[in-house]
Amino acid sequence: MKRENVTYVTDASLVNCVVPAGRADAVLKAARDLGVGASIVYHGRGTGTRERLGLLGIAVEAEKEIVVMIVPNERRDMLINELFQAAEINTPAAGYIYVTPVDKAAVYIPEEVLKQLKDS
Amino acid sequence: MANYIRYGDIERAMGGGQRQISLDSLSPTLERDAEGNVLPVRYEKIRLSASDSLKILKPYFSVRLMDQVRAVVPLAAYLALFQILFLQHLVEDSWLITGGLFAVIVGLMFFMEGLALGLMPFGTVIGSTLPRKSPLPLVLLITLLLGIGVTFAEPAIGALKAAGQNVVVEQAPYLYALLNNYADQLVLVIGFSVGAAAVMGTLRFIYGWSLKPLIYFTLIPALGLSIYCASNPEMSKVLGLAWDAGAVTTGPVTVPLVLSLGIGIATAAGKGSNQLSGFGIVTLASLFPILGVMCLLVYVTLTITPGEIIAAAQGLSTATSVTPAWYETSPGVEVVLGIRAILPLVVFLFFVLKIVLHESLKNKSEIFLGIALTIIGMCIFNLGLTYGLSKLGGSAGGLVPIAFMQIDGIENSPIYMYSVGLILALAFAWFLGFGATIAEPALNALGITAETMTNGVFKKKTLIYAVSTGVAFGIAIGLAKLIFNLPLIWLIIPGYLFAAILTYLSSEEFVNVAWDSAGVTTGPITVPLVLAMGLGFGNATGAVEGFGILSMASIGPIITVMLTGLWTRYKANAQLKAETHKTTQLEQEVGAAL
Repeated sequence: MKRENVTYVTDASLVNCVVPAGRADAVLKAARDLGVGASIVYHGRGTGTRERLGLLGIAVEAEKEIVVMIVPNERRDMLINELFQAAEINTPAAGYIYVTPVDKAAVYIPEEVLKQLKDS
Repeated sequence: MANYIRYGDIERAMGGGQRQISLDSLSPTLERDAEGNVLPVRYEKIRLSASDSLKILKPYFSVRLMDQVRAVVPLAAYLALFQILFLQHLVEDSWLITGGLFAVIVGLMFFMEGLALGLMPFGTVIGSTLPRKSPLPLVLLITLLLGIGVTFAEPAIGALKAAGQNVVVEQAPYLYALLNNYADQLVLVIGFSVGAAAVMGTLRFIYGWSLKPLIYFTLIPALGLSIYCASNPEMSKVLGLAWDAGAVTTGPVTVPLVLSLGIGIATAAGKGSNQLSGFGIVTLASLFPILGVMCLLVYVTLTITPGEIIAAAQGLSTATSVTPAWYETSPGVEVVLGIRAILPLVVFLFFVLKIVLHESLKNKSEIFLGIALTIIGMCIFNLGLTYGLSKLGGSAGGLVPIAFMQIDGIENSPIYMYSVGLILALAFAWFLGFGATIAEPALNALGITAETMTNGVFKKKTLIYAVSTGVAFGIAIGLAKLIFNLPLIWLIIPGYLFAAILTYLSSEEFVNVAWDSAGVTTGPITVPLVLAMGLGFGNATGAVEGFGILSMASIGPIITVMLTGLWTRYKANAQLKAETHKTTQLEQEVGAAL
């Protein structure tokens, strides 16, 4: 069997967006609109603010959705800005966004795209 | 080389820009004790500005409000549009009804949220700890009492009382007596039946009994008593109420609370892993009240004669000319009813938790808020029931007959030829049943359970369509019963006998799903609407009583689901046979070739 050479993708960042359950779709749409190819949604349970809000805490969704995507560094800040608006992060207990650098990643890249990149 | 500008630089240049602060400046400073150990951080309660609170509350309310809007508005719009388009009549008191429906939406929103916050935590704690800590007889006694409590707290129960006001005492004295003089005893008997059903269902979980014999043994006395009651012209008028009572009981309070306790008991007994766990209680809780109400009826007929009831009612109507107290007139009576419905259940749950279990609850303030919301929601819902659902259902029911018959006081009735109008009225009922059922969230959940239970043979969609079709035909048949003034017993006996035969033929899983599906479809919106519609319809056509539609809507899905189940099994078997036939043929051919 022929072994494929790995083509590494560099200059990427990992964006994690934690939002109240049900709001992931808005985040995913904003990411898609900025050309993010693929995202993953995890489910989780958040604590912290909800417990300290008193009775108002019942209005805070404890179940969270965590949207994870790898984005090009050049588009990173623009994307965070858009996600920030889409997820309405600027509300108490509405979640947060964090970004970590990605050393390298590997993924399926179509043959013709590889060729095109090599030629240019 | 391409000319890159960092996005951050643009932002900063435009002035809106990024700011950066260190996370350390947001974190609380750590304090140390004398030995230098870090003390645990003490958090203070977060205080929010009004606009921030609003930002949190807005999505919270809008989601929950939309849930109820989706349940109420399509049905109400259907009723109103049918009146306007086909009957050419505007809805009377449309503003009052709109306000009432809004109250139903808001009331249900508060009620359901309060239920989740305030009452369900009790259910979970009691369900998981009571069976482990207490002996079985005590657990079963508490289950019985819980059944009574949840029945009083069921929102749809108020609809029965509302229905009682429209019964003419001279026409159906016993029905009038049960819904007015004996109204509290009626609810108590229904509650007791639900409790007994919960006990039986729990015992079934523990000992792994089949549901089939339980159904037969409940149906035999129920049908027998019905035949006995039908032989007496006065008692036969109450049959509709008795068979409808089953549908009223299985609502958003009863099902989760009783189920969590029942499953808890079964798990503690080591029998919780059965995939049929949780089924059957709903079935029994909708069958036992039928028996209970008929027993109460027999008791009432033995203690009081129709003449006495009529005399008492007439005496009452002259006596009440004095101004009634605030708690007997409209806004007050709903509030009192709401508090009376919820508080006993809450007190009982507290009692069990504190005295029997010595447990305490976390998040006390949340639970108190939840209980308060439940009570407020119940009061608002009761108001909406009187002014919105009952009125809308009643007026729709009262107007539908003008499609095919002459009604006094309404000009140009009948609007259509008799046959056309009749078909229109029945189609109206059919689509009402279908539409009201297909959107029921509880049915969706049942569908998922059925699909996993049968390993995907019985699709979720199939179940939803089977149940909806069953309810649709049930309501249409119920309406036909009112139009042609058929005795209910003619429909009940063949319907349930047929269901019993199907039960005998079907596998245990389908029997469980089918009989339970009858209970899940009758929610707090459908029941009052259909009850009021039936009563309004009955009044307009001159039928003695308008009950019975709900009972038809219960038996309908039982039959359709079991028929569908048998059909799927037949098809699966046929497919299997065809495949084995094909493979043997193939083997023979291969054998010949070799």
